[in-house]
Amino acid sequence: MQWMTLFKKELLENIRNLKWIWVPLVMILIATMDPVSSYYLPQIIDAVGGMPEGTEFQLPDFTPSDVVMMSLSQISSIGVLIIVLMSMGTIAGERKSGVSELVLVKPVSYTNYITAKWAAVLLLTLTALALGMLSSWYYVNLLFGELSFGTLLQIIFFYGLWLALVVSLSIFYNTLLKIPGLVAFLTIATILVMKLITTIFSHLLEWSPNNISGYINQMLVSGSVPSELTGAAMVTIVMIILLVASSIYMFKSKEMAN
Amino acid sequence: MALLTVNNLTKNYDGKSAVNEINFQFQPGKCIALIGPNGAGKTTTLRMLSGLIKPTSGSVTFSGMKQNDDIRKYIGYLPQYPVFYAWMTGKEFLVYVGRLAHLSKEEANKRTEILLERVGLTEAKNRRIGKYSGGMKQRLGIAQAMIHHPKLLMLDEPVSSLDPLGRREVLTLMEELKEDMTILFSTHILGDADEVSDELLLLHEGQIVESGSMEELRHKYQTAKIELGFQDNLANYHTKIGNLPSVVTCSMDRNTIHVTATDILSARKEILAAASQEEWPLTSFAINRASLEDMFMKAVSN
Amino acid sequence: MEEVALIDIFSEINWAIIAPIIVIQGILLIVSLIDLVRIEKTNGPKWLWFIIVIFINIIGPIIYFIFGRRQD
Repeated sequence: MQWMTLFKKELLENIRNLKWIWVPLVMILIATMDPVSSYYLPQIIDAVGGMPEGTEFQLPDFTPSDVVMMSLSQISSIGVLIIVLMSMGTIAGERKSGVSELVLVKPVSYTNYITAKWAAVLLLTLTALALGMLSSWYYVNLLFGELSFGTLLQIIFFYGLWLALVVSLSIFYNTLLKIPGLVAFLTIATILVMKLITTIFSHLLEWSPNNISGYINQMLVSGSVPSELTGAAMVTIVMIILLVASSIYMFKSKEMAN
Repeated sequence: MALLTVNNLTKNYDGKSAVNEINFQFQPGKCIALIGPNGAGKTTTLRMLSGLIKPTSGSVTFSGMKQNDDIRKYIGYLPQYPVFYAWMTGKEFLVYVGRLAHLSKEEANKRTEILLERVGLTEAKNRRIGKYSGGMKQRLGIAQAMIHHPKLLMLDEPVSSLDPLGRREVLTLMEELKEDMTILFSTHILGDADEVSDELLLLHEGQIVESGSMEELRHKYQTAKIELGFQDNLANYHTKIGNLPSVVTCSMDRNTIHVTATDILSARKEILAAASQEEWPLTSFAINRASLEDMFMKAVSN
Repeated sequence: MEEVALIDIFSEINWAIIAPIIVIQGILLIVSLIDLVRIEKTNGPKWLWFIIVIFINIIGPIIYFIFGRRQD
């Protein structure tokens, strides 16, 4: 019951500060930009003066999966950045301002406090992802050819896990630090370091969460879920659980006064 | 039985002690002032009592508290600079913290209305807290601290950041509240403590240097003085008073004679007797009791 | 020359495809403008945020919501 009170307050806050409007809208724009601009690529090239005389440049024929992967890659960069920035103050900001003091001096369970925050950010993130991918899917079907709805759901599910990891990282740093900007910086830095490590030790870290979008691409090409994707998904889930659990642990052992 | 018992409570920060083995207890129904200069450890003490920070050592127990119970259920706490969700209305905030303190929806709503009435915010209840004045925020802060019927209400410097009007509002509210609950509040303004508290705890450099009821402390640190005002010729009476048997010192400035005595009551008798017999042109006669400032300075210097 | 080419591209575009995107951008712009009018204080001067929101397509409203809006 207390959990619901905390969770509902987060939802209400994110409605009043308009996050529930702008985050999904932005995600839709990010996801649809590439499908539409790729479709109009020939006209755009013409419009800016056309190809230089004599260039042998064949515009690629985009397959539906190519285009959906473009949307995903936009979400991986700009989308992730926005998620990190919009969640950077969810706990850190409350501690910085001091409002968390009035909340935590009530008999509030720290587990409820952290998990309610986590769930509220996650719900917004996943809703935005689903809406973004749904509109990308709409354009893909309209302009480039068929992609099944089932495939779309698979994409949202697996990519959603990656974003859930991003949210969990952000929550983790939120409990450690009081400065929202630093939370955002460390979250992004961690994602980049993970990516670097994954690239360097690629043969060892096949199940790294950073590989999820690569395996989604494989899934689109082959038409079936590769075993590495299942593996990476499991590793991701374990990491999420560990991150949330250690956030709670640290929040408990930490003195909220400091 | 004591409502709250504090045992050897200590808090160290980086090896330095902010609060050093303090012990005290108090009965229910009192209004206790925790007095001390800035940096004496008042906030640290209150935060330990409220469960916001953990003591380095020592214990805090409430009467009737079970082992390993959450101390936060029994106390209501108002920090020195309370910060609210500016986007919530006063009413929403009270219902929210009420629900967090495990009140049912109906209870939280009922309690909210009662407290809004009590702290005089009924008219502003649907306004965003961001638009509240300092005094209104402080009153909302007191209401939120009381939402779950705490056994003890703790207020950290409840009036020191307010303007005179806000100060008066909050002090009056505290006068009313102390009728039916136990209040512990900190202040560095001794006059405020004098005005509303029954008991005092004097904190200095992390230690309790003195404690007791107002009367006890007054008695203990009594250095009562008599001040006399005369129409004219002060010097004349100065010598006369100086010769009275129980007068210890007698000094004068432009229009007042200051007298200290071994026993203030007999000094009063002697002075008044002489005054009526010789028809002194007295304009004022006053016995000044020791002020809290005096007590504090003495207690600290001991 | 570019102008002519741009007119060409406009006439070739299927508006049913582009319209939803323009509408969403429009909603984003309008929501941020309304919020900017109603909000009491922003981080930095309000007029600057108006300029940023109006003149920087999509990014303007986003950075306003993230950095310009005061949460306290």
